Amino acid sequence: MDRIECQWCHSQNDATLTTCDVCGAPLDVKDLVSESGWKEAPRLRDMTEFKFSISTCQVEGHVVPVAEMNLGAQDWVYFEHHVLLWKDQGTPLSQMATPGGVKRSFAGMPHIISVAQGPGRIAFSRDAPGEMVVLPLHPGMELDVREHAFLVASGAISYSYVRIKGLANIVHGGTGMFMDRFVTAGVPGLLILHGYGDVMERTLAPGEKVLVEPGGFLYKDSTVQMQAVQLPLKTGMFGRSMYLAEMTGPGRVGIQSMYQHHAAGE
Amino acid sequence: MTIADTGYVCRYCRQPSDPSGTSCPRCGAPIDVTAVVSRSGWMKQPAIKDMARIQFGQSHVQIEGRQVPTADFALAAGDSIYFGHHTMLWLDPATRLQAMSMAGGWKRMIAGLPVIMTQATGPGHIALSDDHAGEIVALPLNVGQQIWVREHRFLAASGNLTYGFEANNIWITTGSGNDAKTTYPLGWIGDRFSAQNNAALLLLHAPGNTFVRDLAQGESILIQPTALLYRDLSVQAHLHIEYPRTQGFFSMFNRFSYRHVWLRLTGPGRVAMQSVFEREEESEQITGISPATEQRW
Repeated sequence: MDRIECQWCHSQNDATLTTCDVCGAPLDVKDLVSESGWKEAPRLRDMTEFKFSISTCQVEGHVVPVAEMNLGAQDWVYFEHHVLLWKDQGTPLSQMATPGGVKRSFAGMPHIISVAQGPGRIAFSRDAPGEMVVLPLHPGMELDVREHAFLVASGAISYSYVRIKGLANIVHGGTGMFMDRFVTAGVPGLLILHGYGDVMERTLAPGEKVLVEPGGFLYKDSTVQMQAVQLPLKTGMFGRSMYLAEMTGPGRVGIQSMYQHHAAGE
Repeated sequence: MTIADTGYVCRYCRQPSDPSGTSCPRCGAPIDVTAVVSRSGWMKQPAIKDMARIQFGQSHVQIEGRQVPTADFALAAGDSIYFGHHTMLWLDPATRLQAMSMAGGWKRMIAGLPVIMTQATGPGHIALSDDHAGEIVALPLNVGQQIWVREHRFLAASGNLTYGFEANNIWITTGSGNDAKTTYPLGWIGDRFSAQNNAALLLLHAPGNTFVRDLAQGESILIQPTALLYRDLSVQAHLHIEYPRTQGFFSMFNRFSYRHVWLRLTGPGRVAMQSVFEREEESEQITGISPATEQRW
């Protein structure tokens, strides 16, 4: 039987499908890659539906898209409570306490993550124009995500956080003190992020570097090293130093085009 | 055959262009679309197609994305661009950066404008984006051509484009004595770009959608001051205050005034507006104003 490989998540799909069964990306469009090697995250068609475990997720809307989930009886998802848009009355909610709660509170991160258990419907969205980035995680994958960028994850993915190392990275890095880390163990899981503006991804070869505005950083494979580097450039009337995040491969780096500049210097 | 020989003029950037591709090589506007003109004469500028390329000098810029597009520059050796550093999204380590100091730094700082522009020189890649959902507007300028741009809308310019700024002289004072407050509906300062020795490229970022129209000699239109994106220097701008007819309860308060503050643009020339604008916060009675017209209903 003919199969089509999804150019976003590399899953194999039935040739009759028009969108990827695993991540919802359109299958019949060419892969949009800029000359400099950045691949655009696929803009999901309105009402696209895809599966995870025994549940489904439908993406609705273009400007601030909504992820509407129909959870199977044994499935559950977790999320930050302020992204919850609506739910069926019968969908049970609970809380998942995270380790390091006080540290996370000081860092402005939620220290309690909400959990929705199937069966039932529940929907999530964030608060600004952007793209929903669907990242199916295969067993053994580790992904680091900018704080407050994750929308919802399936229960098969374990959630923790990593403290950004180095005082210079914390003070000048502009990505906060912590990054969320998502790891899959034995079974695949689904992670959905909301990127502000447009989202692009680039795969760095071992040792390959790119400098990224820290506010634009969205996610990276845990194999990618991130380090704040000072540019030979002063900004503003009082000559503030400018820092960018130097990403060193191997691995994927995802960025968002709309961000608040972390240190405008004026 | 050169671009000039084709006889085709892009209806958006008004420059001789090549109709054989899918987008104008000078401004990125689609070639194969019908002009969308409203009944009142505004032409909607179509968004630059995803991944369209715009040529300038030996370099080019690729526009990526649709909601908050990114301008991804491939700079040839010796070619340069300048921009406000807060729009830089990513760059190759090989791209050279340096500060380009501006005259009138104190004024610019007071006006909230970048005091120092950043210059990037090729060879190398660098990408810029703004922080609003909207469109990138490319304006190729021929030798001798000048354009006025509202503050904070400038994204990047090729290194051969001359940059200056000037006070808009459009202001309103409310209150009196120690309570007097002066506001600048169009911003205190406007940017002015001119191509002096070579053709050059200017990129703007417009929140929302962008609309363009040509005003005939003496033709006049009222728009929200913060909706103005750019105008030809031949277009005159001043304020117009409109007082709707009030009666009863609201007419008893003479400290506040129910009015609309418009920007009156008078041709000849091209004007462009963006569909996202800032709401006027001030509602106290106007006690002083730059040259303006008035209408009381």
